[in-house]
Amino acid sequence: MHRSRDNSATVVWNLPELLSRVDNDQELLADLLTIFKEEFPRNLQALEAAVAGADLQKTAALSHTLKGMLSNLACTRAAAAVSRLESLASAGNGKSLLDALEQFKQETARLVPEIEAYMAGVHG
Amino acid sequence: MKILIADDEVLSRRLLEKTLERAGYEVVSAENGKQALEALSRPDAPRLALLDWIMPELDGLAVCRAVRRRTDQAYAYLVLLTSKGSKEDTVLGLEAGADDYLIKPFNTEELRARLRVGERILLLEDRLVEARENMRFRATHDPLTSLLNRGAVLDLLARELHRSHRENKSTAILLGDVDHFKDVNDTYGHGIGDQVLIEIATRLVACVRSYDFVGRYGGEEFLVVLNSCDPAYGPSRAEEIRKSVSGRPILTAKGPLRLTASFGVLQSSEWGQRSLEELLHAVDTALYEAKAAGRDCLRVAKPPAQEAVAALAPQLMRQRH
Repeated sequence: MHRSRDNSATVVWNLPELLSRVDNDQELLADLLTIFKEEFPRNLQALEAAVAGADLQKTAALSHTLKGMLSNLACTRAAAAVSRLESLASAGNGKSLLDALEQFKQETARLVPEIEAYMAGVHG
Repeated sequence: MKILIADDEVLSRRLLEKTLERAGYEVVSAENGKQALEALSRPDAPRLALLDWIMPELDGLAVCRAVRRRTDQAYAYLVLLTSKGSKEDTVLGLEAGADDYLIKPFNTEELRARLRVGERILLLEDRLVEARENMRFRATHDPLTSLLNRGAVLDLLARELHRSHRENKSTAILLGDVDHFKDVNDTYGHGIGDQVLIEIATRLVACVRSYDFVGRYGGEEFLVVLNSCDPAYGPSRAEEIRKSVSGRPILTAKGPLRLTASFGVLQSSEWGQRSLEELLHAVDTALYEAKAAGRDCLRVAKPPAQEAVAALAPQLMRQRH
């Protein structure tokens, strides 16, 4: 398991699983991580706006997109957190959205730096 | 083999593209359901497709339903790829027309194995379609000459006569018989006789338009149906066909053979509302007259004078008005 740099037990992303998924193709891995670096902040920002505006339909759609993206990158915990957000929004439960969003943001807080650090390590 | 990937999420699409290209597929990508349906509706459409369930424009279920509604294209093997994982979702996906169902994130080996299942199903489908087409061809065509058989050409003639009567057009019926064909069989054997019939069939087909019909009516008899033609066209085309038979020798394993054929010709517009049987009898009689006149010629079947006037009446009325 690839762990965060402060050596806590939190699994940020499961690199061995991801490497297996891409058949150890480093070029493809770099492609996917680049896409993630570009797409994730944009989608997260849109999700925050959707939750703030209580737009349940948009929240569900964006959560679904992020869930797919994170699942593919083997970011299991973050995917589970955004899946909860999708479920709440799909069920029309707007009350708990802010809490769920906060949990999701906590799960993903270290993700982008972690991925950037990995990419810098590979290419550095 | 071509495969369609439809997924609105760019990272997922990239991962699938690369995984499938590595597996030897020619990948076609779509960013939403509408694009996917368009890609699956083209003449050279992929027959394998991986469809995300939730997509803009049209979702994966709607794409499955639309593909299954159509009947004019070869079968497409559709796999729904989604994070929806409940039994109810699986049933819903399969009921919509998906052939298989994979949960995201996919396992590469499982994905490849399931696509190989799809390829096997498509291969089986192709073989069944080919077998059905072969059976249909055998049921409607003469095995020696590959022309329409008697039943098939008569069915088409009956349909064409109805149409030409409805649309006030004329159909020409040509009945031809190879002269002295029995002598060919008796002298050179049936194998050479078969070669002669095959060559004559080829010449007949070469003499008519793509929308006319040529059938083997009996042993050495051929029925030609010329659709939607004016009354002068039938006899003149019959004369061309006759010349195509007698004009040059037929090359056989026993050397070149000079053969001729006789023809009876009938133009449906001159016969009013006569039945198919009556018209066939009339053209058969004309063929006998051609034989009696020395062969290698044609005779046109003419209705009794009163009927000819009656058949022409609608045309005269139209001209008057």
